[in-house]
Amino acid sequence: MLELRPILSALWRHKISALLIAVQLGLTLAIVGNATVVIQERMDTIARPTGVAVEDIVTANFMPIPKDYDRMEAFRLDLDMMRQLPGVVAATVSRAPLAGGGSSAGFHTKPNQEIGATNSATFRVDEHFIDALGMRLVAGRNFTANEIREIGRESTWQPDTTVITQQLADKLFAGGEALGKSIYYGGGDHPMEIVGIVERNLGPWPNSPIAGNSIFLPMIMDTQWFDYIIRAEPGQRDAVAKLLQEKLAERDPRRVVDVKTLEEQLNRSYAGDNTMITVLSGVVGLLTFIVALGIVGLTVFWITQRQKQIGVRRALGATRTAISRYFLLENLLIAASGIAIGVAAAQIFNHFLASEFDQPALPLSTTLTCALILLGVSLAAALVPALRAANISPATATRSV
Amino acid sequence: MLKMQNIRKSYRTDTIETHALRDFSLEVNEGEFVSVTGPSGSGKTTFLNIAGLLETPTGGQYLLDNEDIGNLNDRDRSRLRNEKIGFIFQGFNLIPDLNLFDNVDVPLRYRGFNGKERKKRIEKALEQVGLAARAKHLPAQLSGGQQQRVAIARALAGEPRFLLADEPTGNLDSLMARQVMELLEFINEWGTTIIMVTHDPDLARRAHRNIQIVDGQVADLQQGAAERAQTATA
Repeated sequence: MLELRPILSALWRHKISALLIAVQLGLTLAIVGNATVVIQERMDTIARPTGVAVEDIVTANFMPIPKDYDRMEAFRLDLDMMRQLPGVVAATVSRAPLAGGGSSAGFHTKPNQEIGATNSATFRVDEHFIDALGMRLVAGRNFTANEIREIGRESTWQPDTTVITQQLADKLFAGGEALGKSIYYGGGDHPMEIVGIVERNLGPWPNSPIAGNSIFLPMIMDTQWFDYIIRAEPGQRDAVAKLLQEKLAERDPRRVVDVKTLEEQLNRSYAGDNTMITVLSGVVGLLTFIVALGIVGLTVFWITQRQKQIGVRRALGATRTAISRYFLLENLLIAASGIAIGVAAAQIFNHFLASEFDQPALPLSTTLTCALILLGVSLAAALVPALRAANISPATATRSV
Repeated sequence: MLKMQNIRKSYRTDTIETHALRDFSLEVNEGEFVSVTGPSGSGKTTFLNIAGLLETPTGGQYLLDNEDIGNLNDRDRSRLRNEKIGFIFQGFNLIPDLNLFDNVDVPLRYRGFNGKERKKRIEKALEQVGLAARAKHLPAQLSGGQQQRVAIARALAGEPRFLLADEPTGNLDSLMARQVMELLEFINEWGTTIIMVTHDPDLARRAHRNIQIVDGQVADLQQGAAERAQTATA
């Protein structure tokens, strides 16, 4: 037998404390809901496929000590040496993606265009890049060795062919076939034919709005910014990294070698997102804990205050279950009204965050999921005091104090 | 209808064991009005608690309507309290947050009556104690005597077989006490068995039978008086 009406009238006489807890729950829901959507967004960002074999890739970079160092020669000798190493699947020289450094440019589908360019990250690569990055070619072909040109840093040479990502192909040629078409640098008239399309590559900046727009050009540039990208056999990455450090220094001791895993560089790129996730999760956990404490406190207080009444109810025929149910139901009513406040507050708060801070919209489903969880937490918080209330002896009714 | 045989009740703390009732035997028949008196600490309240199924005895046998209470679990005892026993407490023990109507409603809800039945019973019970017009008032808005009448209405609404009253007039002035006592007598005349614990010898005398509890045992006054009379004639 539910006792809704008597509970409501009893609550009405303690409306201030009930309302305070309800408002606290509501505010918690508003904050938790909005924090959750931010956490969710950041987690989705991190979980995006990068298009490359992050876990198997080692990058290496060197700084020569002599001034007139022949970098191109070093590239050739190092790559030959590295490809012979045990555990190495493929090696190339280019710029490591996902690591936070690279170049970008605007591209057009017609010559001599100045405005309306599609921005894209650009990578200068050799014919080993698809294999070394562990990417997937979804259309066309890879570059051949003949197409690769070695150029100086200041060269303005432009290649005749290019490979692009599927995402960029879709942007440049919406609804059409990109393979075989030509693209142009902004203001330029030199056509570069798209000979291949790779499935995905997030580019140098995974958090940038242009992440995923990537162009690969068949050229090796004489620059200190170039990295070796070495893909190891699965599980061999760390061994390969150690070996590389040793062998690169051994092949030519006149340079400082820096070997890293691509994974650690990607983690650094996502450090801000990870911090945000940790901080917001902490806030969500803390607020939930505080609201649970509040509920435990209020329930314990009310039960202590109503010990005699509980004894009287027991004497009048209430079973233990009826007593526990009374307090759980009372708590449920408070929690439900708090959550009703919270659902509205969450949407209002989100509207404010979305307009002022460009935060993602809060879907009602997220709010409702958070609401359900908070409801569960508040019931769980009230459960132990409610069960203990059921142990109050009916003989309490006849005690004069 | 109530039969206690060699009931024992002891309370134990870490260091000491207190015997509240020892070899306590009593029989109360259907329709009786029994008063229970005795000095403070004699075990009156313990007896009342056991009789009202608020506590379980440590030993002995208690039959209520021929049902052995010792075999019942907490849920069954709650059901039995609800169906067969009405309580009237010294401090009235109304629920302060609920109006009179809802207070009388409390045991009826546990009984599982539907809303219509409950309403009928509540109105009738409040009518019987002369407070039907105040159904929407809170206990705090009533005098002590009125509050005790509400408590009686609450005890009556479930139409219990017997009524346990713990110092029902203890917190009332003499006029109100008389009214409450008259109400109890009226209820008893209609067939409800009443056991009333009281300090007041005048009230105790108005019952059919008076039981005195001394040191956790029944001190049978009538038997004692008869023995004294015999000694005197001899």
